[in-house]
Amino acid sequence: MVKAVRGTLVKCDASIKAMLVDIDSKNNNDFIIEELDEEHMLVKETKVNALKNRLQQMMKDRLKDPTIDEDSGKE
Amino acid sequence: MSVSTSQALDYLEQLPVQTHRKLYEQPSTVLAIFRCMLPHLAKSIVMGMLYMPTPISSPDLDAWFRPSAAKLKRSSLEILEKLHIVSQKQLDAVKHTAFTLSPGFAKSLRQALEGSGTHRSFGVPAPPTSARKVSVAELDDYARIQWESILFYMVGSTVGFHGGGGMARDIGKGTRSLLEAGDFVGKKFGGGVGITRTGFMFVLQDTNAQVWSLLIEYLKHVNQLGMSETDVLSFLFMLGSLELGQDYSTSTLSPTQLQMLIDLTAFGLVYRTSENASTFYPTRLATTLTSDSGALSATNNPHDHAPAPSGGATQKGFIIVETNYRIYAYTSSLLQIAVLSLFCKLTTRFPNLVSGKLTRASISRAVQTGISADQILSYLDSHAHPQMQKSVPFLPPTVTDQIRLWELEGERLECTDGYMLREFPSDKDYRDMVKYAEDLGVLVWKDDGERKFFVNRIEQMQEALKKQGQRRAR
Repeated sequence: MVKAVRGTLVKCDASIKAMLVDIDSKNNNDFIIEELDEEHMLVKETKVNALKNRLQQMMKDRLKDPTIDEDSGKE
Repeated sequence: MSVSTSQALDYLEQLPVQTHRKLYEQPSTVLAIFRCMLPHLAKSIVMGMLYMPTPISSPDLDAWFRPSAAKLKRSSLEILEKLHIVSQKQLDAVKHTAFTLSPGFAKSLRQALEGSGTHRSFGVPAPPTSARKVSVAELDDYARIQWESILFYMVGSTVGFHGGGGMARDIGKGTRSLLEAGDFVGKKFGGGVGITRTGFMFVLQDTNAQVWSLLIEYLKHVNQLGMSETDVLSFLFMLGSLELGQDYSTSTLSPTQLQMLIDLTAFGLVYRTSENASTFYPTRLATTLTSDSGALSATNNPHDHAPAPSGGATQKGFIIVETNYRIYAYTSSLLQIAVLSLFCKLTTRFPNLVSGKLTRASISRAVQTGISADQILSYLDSHAHPQMQKSVPFLPPTVTDQIRLWELEGERLECTDGYMLREFPSDKDYRDMVKYAEDLGVLVWKDDGERKFFVNRIEQMQEALKKQGQRRAR
């Protein structure tokens, strides 16, 4: 019998995907239902926004934004 | 079909059958839907079936289409069925189905085309009186001032202009609460109101789309106000078929519609000489509701190239963008300056000119609040200064590319809600279903090896899966 699973398909770069998987594994696999391929995964519909926020937080912590300095330097 | 009408179509599609039936009693509504909501192929189908006495069987209908157009045909029929214009009936045993046009729709469309019947649904022109008629230019002015004050209410409060320049007219309590209910503006800390993500998108749309967005929001709330949705909708569609510069009598309107007139007057869709005048004039905002020609901004008509003193949406072409991301806008309109400041870093203001720069920070701020790069670009493009319009494309490619890149930096994830279908019993079942999903245009992702795929809509897939299951059981 064919099964239908409700969820949100998330498409992103492989590098971003690695970060998402990392977030997921640190949170009892609460976000991701299934990893599909390099660039796609199925995420719980209700958790997408929480996942996005975590990702943004993570990027802020890990990546240095070069233009912030540059912008403030100019003005 | 333009963006604006597709919004209205989405709204119409989700209405229940009963509402559709009642709507289709009005020839003006039927004509408006036929004229501007349906894709061309759907129009041809309706036209073909309009004078047909009996239902048409599906093989006969198929004969109208080239086999290569099966996908187009299916999507057209889907729209028609959703709007309950065409219904499908099982004729006998298994395969034969027949299509019929909804009788109410057919009757009204025939009346609209032939001009028969005494339905008066196209409005009743007021008898000529000695009183002075309101000219088209005056109507345009009125509509523009009303509409711009709504826009300015939304934008101005965000960028911090308060009541300056005579632009910030009071827009009325009803309109204000509507904007809040529609989530176009939201309460900010400290009591004021601020524009929201939806509001940003609203402001950057063309006028016609804006009018529809606001009206759809209005429609969602009419039930709470004790008005009938059907009445409201048919009145809107009627407005779309009226003539600009003609006054119409209010005597044939229902109480709901009279109530609406007051609200529509506040939006600038309708002009009345006084609050309880027995006539009303539709403005350009109203008469272009159900046509593709632009409202207000497109003043193609040679009679009304009235100069736009306050600038605003009517003025065309005032922005110059240079390859070094500097931007110059020849305008003194606070509304336009406010809109520009949504995504530019404005630095200097002269009496007739503001200048600034598109920066990474300003664009990503805009993107974060929900404006897309495409919206920004189309705004810049459609308001490009005549000097810029000499080169093709109007905007320097470096700038357009860079704005897109800046947007991409913020958007790392692409999300689609829907359903994952899997565990198909056989490869053939899988392939049939994938093909079906593809034809419907709901397929988002698939994995042939694992026999699973993702769709963004499930209703029709469920039907098809059920049928497939039955076939297998037999």
